Amino acid sequence: MPTITIFKDDLESLLTGEGGVVRGIPMAQLEEWLMLVKGELKGHNPETGELRIELQDSNRPDLWCCEGIARQIRIKQQGRLKPYAFFAETPTSPHHLIVKPGMEQVRPYVAACTAKGYRVTEKGLAQLIQTQEKLADIFGRKRKTVSIGIYQLRNITFPVTYELVKPDDVRFTPLGMETAMTLSEILMVHPKGLEYGPILAVQSLLPILRDAKAQPLSFPPIINSREIGEVRVGDDELFVEVTGTDLRMVILSLNIFAANLADRGATIEPVEVRYPTRTVLGKRVKTPQDLGKPVTIRMKAIEQALGQELGEAMVKQALEAYGYNVSAEKGSVKAKLPPYRHDLMHTMDVVEDVAMSRGYAEFTPVMPAQFTVGGLSAIEQLSDRSRELMVGLGFQEIISNILGSPEQYCRGMRLEGTEWGRTVDVDNVMSLSFSCLRQWMLPSLLRIEAASSRAFYPHRLFEAGDVAIPDGTHELGSRTETVIGALIAHATTHFSEIHSCLDVLCYYLGKDYSLEPLQHPSFLEGRAGRILVSGKPVGVIGEVHPEVLERWQISMPVVAFEVNLSQLADLG
Amino acid sequence: MDISTLIDSLHPLEIKVLTTLGLRQSGTALGSEQLAGAAELEASQLSMAVEWLLAKSLITVQTETVTPIVSLTKIGEEYYQTASPIERVLTAAREATGTGKRLTIPDLQSQGGLDPSDVSKAVGRLKKEGVVLIIQGGCIETTGRPSPTVEALRTLLGDMHDSPKELKNFTEAHRQIIEDFAVKRGNAKEPFRVDERVARSFILSPDGAGAAAQLLTQGVAEEVSQLTPDLLKDGSWRQTRLRKYTISLRPPRIGTGKKHPYREFLDTVKTKLVSMGFQEMRGALVETEFWDMDALFMPQFHPARDIHDVYFVKEPSHTTAVDEPFLSRVAKVHENGAETGSTGWGYSFDVHRAKRLVLRSQGTAVSARTLAASPQIPGKYFSIARCFRYDQVDATHATDFFQVEGIVLGEDINFRTLLGLLNLFAREVAQAKEVKFLPAYFPFTEPSVEMHVRHPRLGWMELGGAGLFRSEVTLPLGVTVPVIAWGLGLDRMAMVALGIHDIRELFTDNLELIRTTRGLF
Repeated sequence: MPTITIFKDDLESLLTGEGGVVRGIPMAQLEEWLMLVKGELKGHNPETGELRIELQDSNRPDLWCCEGIARQIRIKQQGRLKPYAFFAETPTSPHHLIVKPGMEQVRPYVAACTAKGYRVTEKGLAQLIQTQEKLADIFGRKRKTVSIGIYQLRNITFPVTYELVKPDDVRFTPLGMETAMTLSEILMVHPKGLEYGPILAVQSLLPILRDAKAQPLSFPPIINSREIGEVRVGDDELFVEVTGTDLRMVILSLNIFAANLADRGATIEPVEVRYPTRTVLGKRVKTPQDLGKPVTIRMKAIEQALGQELGEAMVKQALEAYGYNVSAEKGSVKAKLPPYRHDLMHTMDVVEDVAMSRGYAEFTPVMPAQFTVGGLSAIEQLSDRSRELMVGLGFQEIISNILGSPEQYCRGMRLEGTEWGRTVDVDNVMSLSFSCLRQWMLPSLLRIEAASSRAFYPHRLFEAGDVAIPDGTHELGSRTETVIGALIAHATTHFSEIHSCLDVLCYYLGKDYSLEPLQHPSFLEGRAGRILVSGKPVGVIGEVHPEVLERWQISMPVVAFEVNLSQLADLG
Repeated sequence: MDISTLIDSLHPLEIKVLTTLGLRQSGTALGSEQLAGAAELEASQLSMAVEWLLAKSLITVQTETVTPIVSLTKIGEEYYQTASPIERVLTAAREATGTGKRLTIPDLQSQGGLDPSDVSKAVGRLKKEGVVLIIQGGCIETTGRPSPTVEALRTLLGDMHDSPKELKNFTEAHRQIIEDFAVKRGNAKEPFRVDERVARSFILSPDGAGAAAQLLTQGVAEEVSQLTPDLLKDGSWRQTRLRKYTISLRPPRIGTGKKHPYREFLDTVKTKLVSMGFQEMRGALVETEFWDMDALFMPQFHPARDIHDVYFVKEPSHTTAVDEPFLSRVAKVHENGAETGSTGWGYSFDVHRAKRLVLRSQGTAVSARTLAASPQIPGKYFSIARCFRYDQVDATHATDFFQVEGIVLGEDINFRTLLGLLNLFAREVAQAKEVKFLPAYFPFTEPSVEMHVRHPRLGWMELGGAGLFRSEVTLPLGVTVPVIAWGLGLDRMAMVALGIHDIRELFTDNLELIRTTRGLF
């Protein structure tokens, strides 16, 4: 679901890798390729070559960048992924990153690598920053679980340490500031400190990355140092680190970054992270690292799910052309995700990749053949029958929002502090106009009446629909019930006019009803009743109280009734 | 024209006049007033009928006399109330003379209520009659003689205040005064008006006499506009002339009983789905996060579960309990996949969070509940569910809206039957013959498809999304067969059909718009 901005010429360069660059790829071709990454073209500026692309798959952070999109298309064209050497090699004397004790309480994990030989261009820098932001924001849940820093390598002396310090013991000049600040000052003053500070809210000691000369690199996950942590156009030696709370997510994020930089021509050198205690991957963790494990999938499962016989060879070919490492056996395939992906939860995830790699158009639709009986629920049938009757009685159907305001549903109806005025309220209110669910229908009808004094009279309106009635005995705290409400407004309307309509409705619904006098704040005293069926209350009827009309600024007499169809249905 | 056709074409007023004249001895002329009296017609009705009959040459004018009639103008009525200017000038002059005060014409002209030109005219006339003198310094003094003009005016204003009178009934002297003080061309500000009343008498023409005779022998059919039960009961409709209507006029507008056009649209969708073998499901407006999201394998840290995407309920904030064994099973699946063959999300599931109450954010919640309630296999289900999203309301985002969603369960369900079902929807719901399937992402389905169709009027549009429910969704809810989950995005189709461009208008409060929208789908 992230939307990213990339440039067409940048994408074209990445598509071809080394060798000749193809320019001027037609947009139609591009849109078809985007199917491979579940991408949708949202905008295109032909002059600048800017493309806005929405990536749907929230489990594929590797696709939220120009490099990732290009990679997926490139693999399809070349038939397989060209392996990244740095995942396989074990460097003889790697740089070290030392994690000091205590980090497990705050932000336990870190991964890092260096990238040399890619000279950062203006567009490349914009992409680096965008990828860093999207990964930390969406995949890293607003930096809570993952955040990323990029630095100029030449200013760093290894080993780098990742440790805890007292908030006032370390000072450095953060990005975006002119002067040195302590960590507590950054949290109080710096915009990023204010935005992401809450992640560290309960901590008395704060994390810091420093090099061997004790120069601060950054205060993760808040902000980088301005001296070392600001990458500029023209830099060609970079240091990348990822910190976070989940080791696999941290390493995966670094893998993505490393692959992206490698695709742009950088040589990646892994860094060895040394933890004080064992992690699930041991005490010394080389990063980037391929965490993928091959899974064996029965051919039958794939073919059953896709509804088509494919055979091992075809499945192998399809998966390889989607980046997998595959070996086919009799009746099954063994598939391993590329190291920049970690989204294989179930064999069905592989099945979808087979279908996408082959293209959905390769599958011929077949109608489900099994016989089923269609039908409407009992309440919908009752509601439809009531609606037909109201139409026959000359009423115009209306339809309204269910989410509204206490002003509409309660105060406007003179129901403050009464049982009738209780509503299901929203906790995280955005606008008072949409802050509670309607508990009855009459306000929805008055909403139309209040806006329609110029529409010719008489007005006869009805609505059938759901309401939410607060009910402490119900497991959801409220009951959703279907009601029908009707209103008549004109200069000489009166109780018996609406009573006649109720009478007809009840007659044809086959319900014997009676009215008993009711004191209800929304209606005129002595002109309101409770509708009883088999002795049980199922609704109200009456002349709407003039004060209610005044509150809605309606200057026409209004009579109305409301019947709870759910309760009526329960009475058999 | 033959006589009965002629009679048929006659208006009731014409018939009254003809028969009234026909009852008189042949050749007897009747004046307007007599005719109106005898035919029992208002003056205006008579004059209409007479004009029509003259035009048809059924009557002719026998005599025409012109009578001058005098009446008061609006000014005249004022003079009657306040006295004429000349009388007021005389009164003021007499008073000044009596008290020895100096009174000049400018003095009078500056007095309230009198027009300067009226004053000059009045003084001139009084001086001519010898009632006043202009002495040295322009002062006005009365002579003590009476003014015939003032007396006459007073009498005439009184006489005519009640009703107009014929000019010939006045004396010669009064006729002169009337002449002097009557409205004339170039002088509209006078108390009297003399009109000429034309009095005509009418006689039947030979054709008219024939028609009248025919009408009289038929018996004068009573003219009515309404056929009444009484006319039918006693058979008197046979003697009754029912007036013929002018049917080319627009009729008066009436209020109608009618379904709401958007509901009508949803009704047609509902009917289509039932006809394809789908059973309707219902659900609650308030749901637990468990059924709204957890059961659909959306991890609790999923961005769409954020406070800015879903409405949370204030009170009570949590449900008392979520049904077992579903809660424990789903929790395990989130954590490690349990027996579903999945790795799970690998985080620790928060049971309290699962109990949080929200306003239903997706119709799929209804499907999840159905899966857990021993659905039919094979089975097809749908719901048209009101859902709520924490969105800023604008032309394309509504805060509550309908989602048309459902599921299909069966042994024969797979990716190709999923595409087949979507093809059916494209044809039945959108009348589309061309369909395109695109890979899509939904947290609860794999594989997932987005369907684009070529609508006959709208062109290429996204019609909906679908997929096969993940095992992580179906197995914990006790369903072991494959399940299609589908959803249709119909609001755009509805908006085009209803001719609106703003999604908020689907729920408009404009009654006139609701009443006049045809809703052709």
